[in-house]
Amino acid sequence: MVIFALLVSIALAGIGRHTAAQRIKYAVWSFVLFLAIGIGLAWLMYPFSR
Amino acid sequence: MAEEPVNEAAPVPVAVRRKSLSALPFLVALASLAVPGLGHAWLHRWGRALAFFVAVGGLALTGYIMRGQVFTTVSNDPFGRLGFLADACSGVFYVLARFLEATGPNLSRAAGDYGTRFLASAGIVNLIGMLDAYAIAGGRRG
Repeated sequence: MVIFALLVSIALAGIGRHTAAQRIKYAVWSFVLFLAIGIGLAWLMYPFSR
Repeated sequence: MAEEPVNEAAPVPVAVRRKSLSALPFLVALASLAVPGLGHAWLHRWGRALAFFVAVGGLALTGYIMRGQVFTTVSNDPFGRLGFLADACSGVFYVLARFLEATGPNLSRAAGDYGTRFLASAGIVNLIGMLDAYAIAGGRRG
């Protein structure tokens, strides 16, 4: 999940922003959101897995 | 009959030219589809070219390392055909599959399943890059 989030964030930052600083900031933000939402959804589904 | 005097101060109307269909956006899109980032490099968008090459290449290589399934043109079900379309959109990384995943897929483990998803995602991300390069070449994006 980490590798996928990192690589997709790089691609999204490439098209979403224009300067290097903006791209890095956007990529980091997107990466954190990917992980937070992924882990959050996993915990939300946890009660239904038992 | 006397001719009407020509008003030379009035602006001459510019003839309306038919908008010609340029081949450049299509060529750029094809280049981007063949090699991730090549279309953007053609347009001198080096940051985007590098971002897409790294992203698509990284996803594809990770998929091969995980021994995901690489779909071929021969398939008995729609899922396989869709999978082929997704995999093939990664361009040169799909062509190199036989070299990068010489041992073949291993779907008996979860990693192989994840690898299959990584390979399909590589193609989809490259499609996004292709559309972005097409839009830039066509003047729709900055």
